[in-house]
Amino acid sequence: MESVKLKVSYAPFVRSKDSIESVMYNVALALAPATIMSVYLFGMSALILTVAAIASCIGFEWLMDKVRKKPASCLDGSALVTGLLIALNVPANLPLWMVVIGSFIAIAASKHVFGGLGYNVFNPALVARVFLLISFPAAMTSWPVPFSVDMQTAASPLGILKTDGIGAAMASVSLQNGFFGIMNGSLGETSTLALLAGAAWLLFKRYITLTIPLTMIGSVFIFTGIFYLIDPGTYASPVFHMVTGGLVLGAFFMATDMVTSPISMRGQIIFGLGCGLLTAVIRLWGGYPEGVSFAILIMNGFVPLLDRWDQSDRKAKHQKKSETK
Amino acid sequence: MISEAFIPAVTSLGAVALALGLIIHYVSKKFHVEEDPTVTLINDILPGVNCGACGYPSCGQFAEVLVETKDSSMSCPVGGSDLAEKLGQTLGITMAEPKPQIAVLLCQGDNDTARETAEYLGIQDCWAATQAYVGPKQCRYSCIGLGSCIAFCDFDAMRLENGLVVIDKDLCTGCEACISACPTGVLVMQEKKAERYFIACNSHDKGAATKKACDAGCIACQKCVKVCEDDAIVIDRFLATIVQEKCTACGKCIEVCPTKVNCIRLENDLQAVKQKKAS
Amino acid sequence: MKTFAIGGIHPPERKLTESSAIEVMPVPAELAISMNQHLGKPAKPVVKAGDEVKKGQLIGEADGFISANVHASTSGKVKSVKPHAHPGGQYAMTVFITPDGKDEWAGGLDNAPVDWKSFSREEIVAKVKDAGIVGMGGAGFPTNVKLSPPPDKNIDTIILNGAECEPFLTADHRLMVESPAEVVGGLEIIASLFAGQAKAWIGIESNKQDAIDALKKHASQKGIEIVVLKTKYPQGAEKQLINAITGRTIGEGELPFDKGCLVQNIGTAVAVYDAVCRNRPLIERIVTVSGMEISSRKNVLARIGTAFRDIVDFCGNLSEKTNQVICGGPMMGKALFTLDAPVVKTTSGLLFMNNAAVEKSRERTCIRCGKCVSVCPQSLEPWLLGNTAELRKFDEILDFGLMNCTECGSCTFVCPSKRELVHWIKYAKALVNSRQKRKSA
Repeated sequence: MESVKLKVSYAPFVRSKDSIESVMYNVALALAPATIMSVYLFGMSALILTVAAIASCIGFEWLMDKVRKKPASCLDGSALVTGLLIALNVPANLPLWMVVIGSFIAIAASKHVFGGLGYNVFNPALVARVFLLISFPAAMTSWPVPFSVDMQTAASPLGILKTDGIGAAMASVSLQNGFFGIMNGSLGETSTLALLAGAAWLLFKRYITLTIPLTMIGSVFIFTGIFYLIDPGTYASPVFHMVTGGLVLGAFFMATDMVTSPISMRGQIIFGLGCGLLTAVIRLWGGYPEGVSFAILIMNGFVPLLDRWDQSDRKAKHQKKSETK
Repeated sequence: MISEAFIPAVTSLGAVALALGLIIHYVSKKFHVEEDPTVTLINDILPGVNCGACGYPSCGQFAEVLVETKDSSMSCPVGGSDLAEKLGQTLGITMAEPKPQIAVLLCQGDNDTARETAEYLGIQDCWAATQAYVGPKQCRYSCIGLGSCIAFCDFDAMRLENGLVVIDKDLCTGCEACISACPTGVLVMQEKKAERYFIACNSHDKGAATKKACDAGCIACQKCVKVCEDDAIVIDRFLATIVQEKCTACGKCIEVCPTKVNCIRLENDLQAVKQKKAS
Repeated sequence: MKTFAIGGIHPPERKLTESSAIEVMPVPAELAISMNQHLGKPAKPVVKAGDEVKKGQLIGEADGFISANVHASTSGKVKSVKPHAHPGGQYAMTVFITPDGKDEWAGGLDNAPVDWKSFSREEIVAKVKDAGIVGMGGAGFPTNVKLSPPPDKNIDTIILNGAECEPFLTADHRLMVESPAEVVGGLEIIASLFAGQAKAWIGIESNKQDAIDALKKHASQKGIEIVVLKTKYPQGAEKQLINAITGRTIGEGELPFDKGCLVQNIGTAVAVYDAVCRNRPLIERIVTVSGMEISSRKNVLARIGTAFRDIVDFCGNLSEKTNQVICGGPMMGKALFTLDAPVVKTTSGLLFMNNAAVEKSRERTCIRCGKCVSVCPQSLEPWLLGNTAELRKFDEILDFGLMNCTECGSCTFVCPSKRELVHWIKYAKALVNSRQKRKSA
């Protein structure tokens, strides 16, 4: 028998078919309904913007890998997902050069600067959105009206809530339209239905669990609900808060980002509650109409601490066990 | 025109800075740790690498114990005799001469001389490889050649060349960190001598098995033992070793060693050996 | 259906040989019998080159308490005693025997079956010890030691491990189908050592219906309960098997006897029966020859010491795409570096694979997806153990439960970043142990 060329590695010698690519491309697939909806609502400019975001994200990823002398990872799907999320977070009429800046901030300044995939502390798409919001507040808060031919703009329902109060806000959009997405907002904030469809796919594939979305949306619901009951004249109903703004997008697609969320159940619950409470507080009394991005970024900062807490608990339990032996 | 907002901003921030500075000054004075100035002096002379070769976990602790006990037998192998002199001068005692030692690799089986087993595609680390199998080389006493020891060297004295670790005898300080990093025990410490012969093989396999596994292995043929006039070579379990105290570096053993690549070496530097052979 | 409470995965079962009857492989031209076929100290050779030996004759003596005897697998002449490749990946002292073709048993061995009830408890354990029986599921722990737990441990549960949860492997399955009487007989003998205290169980995964039926027929009148277990990996791991059948948890640093349990492999039970009732030492075992790159897959009854090369020749039809040969199962086995290595008492399988992934995939960074945590049957955080090992923080890694890892491989199977979690954990264990040895020295 002629000799076979044997290779030695370590067990196990079979692996599941999952890979970083399969995870990322499935997330991208889950974002497809919302992206398609955005093109339906806001026209070709939405499509061009999405393509620009994705292309610039992949481009910057390739560039940063070259600069850092790492193997090329631009096609592993993480840049694609970041690009999709950036597009879903900005108004459809945002100038493309601002989108490219956002991509740069997301990929270079908040992902590679921390060490690349797996090492970043803050959600890159959200860092980009907040950066753009603070740098270009006017461009980032003039929302196109759906189906308008010449990009008529108006404030989003949450924006109206902040500036003109509840009466005007409730008048600006019907809850039904809010759910299906016929309202002003960023590309991804609009259609709750499309987002939930995508989230259902991720839940089915078990890439995310319901812990963070439920605790986050639940705490927003309860917190705004309490104040709505106290003073329905000033505060909007919790259902209004759920269908407007980026709450569903943030809860299912940004807060659940694997790299920047806690791994343990206790950590995830605290994380979700914190995101929800901060979102509610900023929306009700903060200077900005929308609080989801800030809330998630602030809680991202606590994730290493939550992980460290779990590790020290595990250490303490283990040391106690070895002492009692 | 200085704008109206300028003066209040400067004064308020300046006041805050001043207050914080005073607090820091007070705290540094109140919580100051008294340190023996001699210890600080000694610590500054020491190399500051915290390698542990002296037996203490850090240079700081070495300094403390030395000042406390004034034990002249304590030595820092990294600093050598120059350091011993300086320490002695500072403390007013005569420090013992440190016995310099150097790490030595008892293997010459590089990619050209050692026969392979199967290609290794696991974690590229010697300890990790031994968990999977004997290693990419047939000889189980060989240097596995994945460089676990190199990661432990604080002095950049080691490098991988052609599947074998090479130690720079001028940079090696004898700190012994690499010894614990080697899973096969093929790295040993030897006294640093100007001229030293040693047998660069660690294989306790019988002669025929050694030859099958590697061209550069000691087959315990005993030719070197017979020709040595100083009784400096001993054979133990099919491996010859040169007893350093008795060796006069006459070179007769090298002339009679029959292995294809001479396993008796003078330098611990593969390049020097190859050049000598070439000339 | 019963199953273990925490974690687990369901890899493709690939029980391609589950219906292949056991084929007896003839004695090859040379046998290489390793002195190291068990946990503990290798046996000491008691023969030398030139000696004539009979089948079943003692050729290696147990060295110490945790050790086992080794016997000649056929009659012939000892060719040499020297170090040789071992399927575990290292070298071990090996006795080479050239068969004389007569295959004659040594005197007093291989008798007609006698009633095991005629022997006392001490006699039974002595027969198991003399026969060199060790755990044939893969660990190789000397069975006579396992059957003599410390007197303060109260054994109330005896379990035969018929789970065979590793993909491809069907050795135990065929043994249960073809020799159910011996399997049940072996369990009865083991249970008799704890007569009056212990209940006997056989745990079988649900994908082996014919084995379940065969054993139920033989076990029905004897008070032995057959438990059907959910087909999930690692159901056959000792701790998980105990948890599924009894609900008890074996904690870190604990052994099954601390919770009143004793687990034995199906093959070991049959070997115990043969040793006690027929005076047969352990000289052969069933090896599942399978994998995707071999077309004639068999369950082979091979003599201990048969070189893997000879098994391949017996089976034939090896694909050229083979780049890995696994000894054992694909989840916890070892990749062979040479086909010269021989069958030992713990060789449950020989798998011929084309592992394309091993050539190209490189480890990537942990993306903190948490899949490893959700599948770990020991409630550990494999991502954390892997990262801590890679950073060489060996002081804290023990506190993260490193020693509680059974190296089942579930975590590495699911990891999307293809991190070598089990290998990092094994690396950390080796370094932690070497440091502890250095400290105590």
